[in-house]
Amino acid sequence: MADNPPIIYLNNAATTWPKPPEVLKAVGQSLSLPVFGSGRTTGSQGEDYITLAREALAGLLAADTPEHVVFTQNATDSLNILIQGFLAREAGCHVITTELDHNSVLRPLHELERQGSIRLTVLPFENGSVSPDAVEAAVTPDTRLMVTAHGSNVLGSVQDVARMGELLHEHGVYFIVDGAQTAGHIPVDLGALPADAYVFTGHKGLLGIPGTGGFYLRDLESVAPVRYGGTGTDSFSLYQPREMPERFETGTHNYPGLAALAAGANYVASIGMKAIAEKAERQTAFLVRELKEEPNVTVYNESPSLPIVSFNIDGVENDDVGFILARAYGIVARTGLHCAPLVHRAIDGGRGSVRLSLSWFTTDEECRTAARAVKEIARNANSSVGSS
Amino acid sequence: MRIVRSVRHKSCADGSFMKEFLLSTPIPEGFFAYLGNFGKVEALPNIGEGFYKFEKPDWFSIKGFTGDTTVEVRFKKEVMDLTVDFLYLLFTTYREEGTDLRVLKQREQAVGRRVQEHLYGR
Repeated sequence: MADNPPIIYLNNAATTWPKPPEVLKAVGQSLSLPVFGSGRTTGSQGEDYITLAREALAGLLAADTPEHVVFTQNATDSLNILIQGFLAREAGCHVITTELDHNSVLRPLHELERQGSIRLTVLPFENGSVSPDAVEAAVTPDTRLMVTAHGSNVLGSVQDVARMGELLHEHGVYFIVDGAQTAGHIPVDLGALPADAYVFTGHKGLLGIPGTGGFYLRDLESVAPVRYGGTGTDSFSLYQPREMPERFETGTHNYPGLAALAAGANYVASIGMKAIAEKAERQTAFLVRELKEEPNVTVYNESPSLPIVSFNIDGVENDDVGFILARAYGIVARTGLHCAPLVHRAIDGGRGSVRLSLSWFTTDEECRTAARAVKEIARNANSSVGSS
Repeated sequence: MRIVRSVRHKSCADGSFMKEFLLSTPIPEGFFAYLGNFGKVEALPNIGEGFYKFEKPDWFSIKGFTGDTTVEVRFKKEVMDLTVDFLYLLFTTYREEGTDLRVLKQREQAVGRRVQEHLYGR
C-alpha cells in the first residue's frame, strides 16, 4: 500500500516477535568474545552460555537434572533424534500419535511406517484433544511408543498429557511429548509430568531466536544416539561419550542462539508463567468473542488454552484473508495448513484456516485492531463482486 | 505499467509457486477489470483501496490492491515457463485509456494450446 501501516505481529505460534531487549543484548554479548566451552582456551572472560541455557531451561520447566536437557537445532530436530533413537531398539513395534500433531511428528513416523519399521495408529481428536481413554484403548501388546503434541498449533488446545502418561506407563509405553507450543506459554512441571521426553523449541514461547531447540530426557539409556562426533570431551575415545549431554550433543553449539535462549527463558521466568498465561487467556478470549459476533466467521476452537485463534471467513479464501490483513492492516497472520494437515482435514476439509497467535508482547490495542480488521473483511465478504 | 522485478518467492502448500512482483507504477483502478477479459476477477472493493484477485485456471492467479505497487502471483508450476511471458505482457500492454486486446487474445490462444497440451496431452 502507499502508506504501510505499522506491523501488528500475530504469528507468534510460528516464531515470537519482538524479542525482549535482554535477548538481543545476549546475542550481541555472546559474539563479542570468543566462545567459552569444553576444551577451548578462552580463559575466564567468556560466559558459559550453554550451561546458563541448560540451567535456565531446567529451572523454567522444573526439570531436576539440568544435564538431561539436550540442545538441538529446533523441535523437529529433537523429535527426529528421539523417535529414531528410541525406535532403533524397537524395530517392528506399534506407535501411536494423533491427528493433532504437526508434521514434525507425523512425517518421521509416517516415513518409518513406509519403510516397514513400525505400525502406526493416528488417533482422531474430539473438542480439540484426544481423550486419555482413547489413547489407552489404542495400546496393543506391541505398542512401545506414543508421540504427541502437548498443545495444538492450530486449535490452541492443550492435551491431558499427564493422564495420558500415567495410562501409557501402566502399559509400559514410552511417551514423548512435543512441547513446541506450550513451553513458555503455560506452566510445565517436568518433575511431575509422567513423560519420558519433552521437546521444546527456543524461538516461540521461550522468546529465543530461531535455530535452537532441545529436549528433556528422563532416562538417558532409553534413546540411542543417532548422531556421533566431536564433543570436546574424552577425545581419545573413538566412541560417543555415554555421559549427558555429550551423548546427544555433537559438534559446535549455536552459542548466540543458546545465549538468546538463556536470556529468553530467564525473561519468561522473571514475568512468571501465571502472568503470561493469564494475559494470553484474556486477550485470546477477547478475540474469540469478537470474531464469533460475525455470522460468516467460523472460529474452530472457541475456548483455546493457548493464545491461538484459528478461523475462516465464508466466501473468502484463508490465503486471501491473510493477504488482506497484511497489506491493508499491517497484520501478520499465518494461513493455510500450519504443517498440521490432519487437523485441517478434520476441521475444515483440508482447506486451511487463518491463524492469529499472540505473545507476551501483544497489546490489547493490537487485539482490538485485529478484531476490527477481521470483522471488516467479513462484513465486506458479502459484497464480493465477480466477473469473468 | 511494467513488472520491475520479483521481490519474494516461495513454494506454496497447494503446489503453486508464488512470486511477489514490484511494479513500475501503482495499480490503476481499471486494471483488474481489464484482466477480466482473460479470466475470473473477484473483488472486495471496500477493503483498503480495493482488493482484487484474478484467476486464470491452469495458468496463474494475481492478487493485489488498487494503488499498490506490488502484486502476488501464483503460478501453476508445471506450466510456469509457458505462461510467465504472458503475465508480463498483461502488465505492459495495459492502457488506462483502453487496451487493444486483439494481439493479447491471439497470444492467449497460442499459449493456451501449449498449456493444454502440456497438462492434458491434447
